[in-house]
Parts: sequence; structure tokens; C-alpha cells
Amino acid sequence: MSEHGLRLVPADGPADVEALIGRVARGDAKAFEALYDELSPAVFGLARRVVRDPARAEDVTQEVFLEVWRKAARYDSGLGRPKTWVMTIAHRRSVDAVRRSESQKRQDHHGAPDEVVHDEPADSVIRAEEHGAVRGCLETLTDLQLESVRLAYFNGYTYNEVATLLDKPLPTIKTRMRDGLIRLRDCLEGAR
Amino acid sequence: MSTDLHTLSGAYALDALSAEEAEEFRRHLEGCPACQEEVRELRQAAALMGASESVAPPPSLKARVLAAADQQPQLPPRVTTLERARSHRWPARIAAAAAAVILVAAGALGISRIQSDRQPSNVAQVFEAPDAHTATVGTSNGGKVTVATSRRLGKMAVETDRLPRLSGQEVYQIWAVNGGKKISAGLVDDVEEGAAMALPSPGTQVAITIEPAGGSPQPTSTPIIAVDPASV
Repeated sequence: MSEHGLRLVPADGPADVEALIGRVARGDAKAFEALYDELSPAVFGLARRVVRDPARAEDVTQEVFLEVWRKAARYDSGLGRPKTWVMTIAHRRSVDAVRRSESQKRQDHHGAPDEVVHDEPADSVIRAEEHGAVRGCLETLTDLQLESVRLAYFNGYTYNEVATLLDKPLPTIKTRMRDGLIRLRDCLEGAR
Repeated sequence: MSTDLHTLSGAYALDALSAEEAEEFRRHLEGCPACQEEVRELRQAAALMGASESVAPPPSLKARVLAAADQQPQLPPRVTTLERARSHRWPARIAAAAAAVILVAAGALGISRIQSDRQPSNVAQVFEAPDAHTATVGTSNGGKVTVATSRRLGKMAVETDRLPRLSGQEVYQIWAVNGGKKISAGLVDDVEEGAAMALPSPGTQVAITIEPAGGSPQPTSTPIIAVDPASV
């Protein structure tokens, strides 16, 4: 990956990744390798953040790419961008992994919502700029929106659990997750 | 809750609903194009947030993933519907029985284990077999399973990724049922991967129930689906 670090690739280039997935769907191993190079930092980074254990994050990353390989022919561009499809799989599998081992995994941070960890991206300049946009946009969320979104997305808590952790009514948390994400979406659209 | 089901879109996009709620929301989505659009957009925002955590994985992982993919057959595009599958694969009577039944049975009653994510390729192999028969049927808990059988391989496989997700306290368990005797055919460890097993012998039905995590020695709930082997 690092040797491709300066390659000029669109950070979320729909054409690029979509074309790769189309080739992967036809069993093109080279395209699969290119797709791995393109998306594995995003997948692994998210998995590591959610499952916390790097070895398990590797397992989750492998599961994600195998699912992408198996189901490439079922990717439907009408349902969203290809990178979003892959990241949705990555997130669901990461959360599943956490929930499967939740009792032990959660003891360490139960009741103590995490600080935001800002890992330095090991990626290209272009990606770094996009990540800067995400961080900038996250700062436009209210504290409660940010905490709700973050505890769910990065810690794998259900909104029920988030409500308990933050000691807020369920409907409030449900609404904050939605309007927080909407604000993030609108801000990112403006940043493009 | 259904009055403001729509506002669950954020929690849904964050995978923050319980399995039951997620399933209810998915059903809601099917009839709500505006919600689908919102979920699509919110997921994209969530994905960008996830991608902002990018970290290069260890270089060794790449070889592992490529080698694993090389061993793994790919699924064909999802074109199987009950109608299509029924028309050229399954006798029509399965359709009548569809609500009550699908699945198949596992080899004699000796079915012992179900492969899960450790050997996921077994599921795809059955689906890709040249002589594969497939059918997709709804389950009583609002999901769908697709079953494939291959006489050539002597196997059957169940695709379970459209079953409602269960909480960590529950698991889908598959049973071979013969003359009132119910024998566990194994647990579906990973619904994304499904399960493969030996082709059932005639007279044996296969059923799926929801059991407490770890499985049960005997079913403790009504099957969400069962299969008549005579229909295979």
C-alpha cells in the first residue's frame, strides 16, 4: 500500500472502485487485488477502531474482503456508492464481532465513553484531506449528537445502550443519531 | 413505535438497532422509497466517517486474503426468486407448502456438523454446482432463506444472509426431523456465510429454530421454516 501512497486516486472515486467491483464480479483476481489495495486501509482502520484488537481486526478485514469477493456480482450501484457498500459490510462485521464477545470486550470501557482517537492516516494526501473534512464536519455536531453517533458507530453499542450510557431518554438518542448523521451528511456535501 | 419508525434511520445506518428492530425497519424500508434514499445517504456519511480512521493493515494480511479468495467460489448475481426457482427446479407442490416448509434434511440422521465461516466455500460450492437446485422461501420471522441442493456433490446448502439478525443471546439452529425425532444438525454460526451439510436422505426433514446461544439439545421454539425432503 505505502508504495502506492502517492498515486493519484480519487478518494472515493465511484468510477474507479465501481469498475473494479465489476471486474471482481467476473472473477478477476487482479482487480480484487487492486480493490484490496484501494480499500483495505479504510476497512482495517474501521475494524481496528471497533474491535480494538488488531489481530481480530485482521480477521474481520479478511471476512469483509471475502464477502466482497463472493458477493461482488450482487453489488447494486442503485443502493449506494461501491465504497459505501464495502464500508457498510466492514462496519456490520466489526459490530457483529464486538457483540459476539461483548461481555468480555465491554468490561474495560463500560460506562466510560471513549475519547475520540484520531489515528494518523497512513494514506495519501488526498485521503488525508478527505479525512480532514470528516473531522471538521464532526466538529459541527452538538456534543450529544457526536457522542451518540460515535458510541454507536465506533463502539458498536445499540441506541438502547447508548441511551443508558449517556443517561438520556431513548427517543432523544434515536433522534440525535439521525440528526447528527444528517448534519454530517450535509456538511460533507458542502465540503465537496 | 411504528408511527415514528422513520426516525430510526440514523440508528439503522449506524447498525445500532437490535436484531428485531433492524428487521422491522428493513420491512418498513421496502415500502418507503424516501427512507431508502435517506438510509443510503446516511450510510454514505457513516462510511466516510469510518474511512477517516484508515490505517494500513500489516502487509502479511494481503497475501492471506488473496489466497483465501482464490479458494472461494463466487456467488452468481441474485436472480433466484421463488417463482423462478419453482418453475424449473422444484415441483409445484413445494409452492403450496412454502409457507410451512423448506430446507432439507441432512444425510441419514447422522448429520453432525455444519460448516460455518471456517469453510464458507462449501456453501458457495453447492450453489455453483452444475446440477444445483435452488429455491428461496420466506420464514415465519420475516426473513428469507435460499436452499440449494446438489446430488452430484451429495450436499445441500442454506444461504441465511437474509434472515433477521439475532441478538447475541440467540442462534439459528438446524434440525433433522424424522418421524418425530429431532436431531441437531448444527448451529448457524454466521448468518452471512450460511451453512452446508450432507444431502438429506428421503424421509428426513430439516427445520430451523431460534435457540438460546450455544444451541439446545432439543428445539425449544417453533421452527421458522421446515423442509419437505420429498419436494427436493
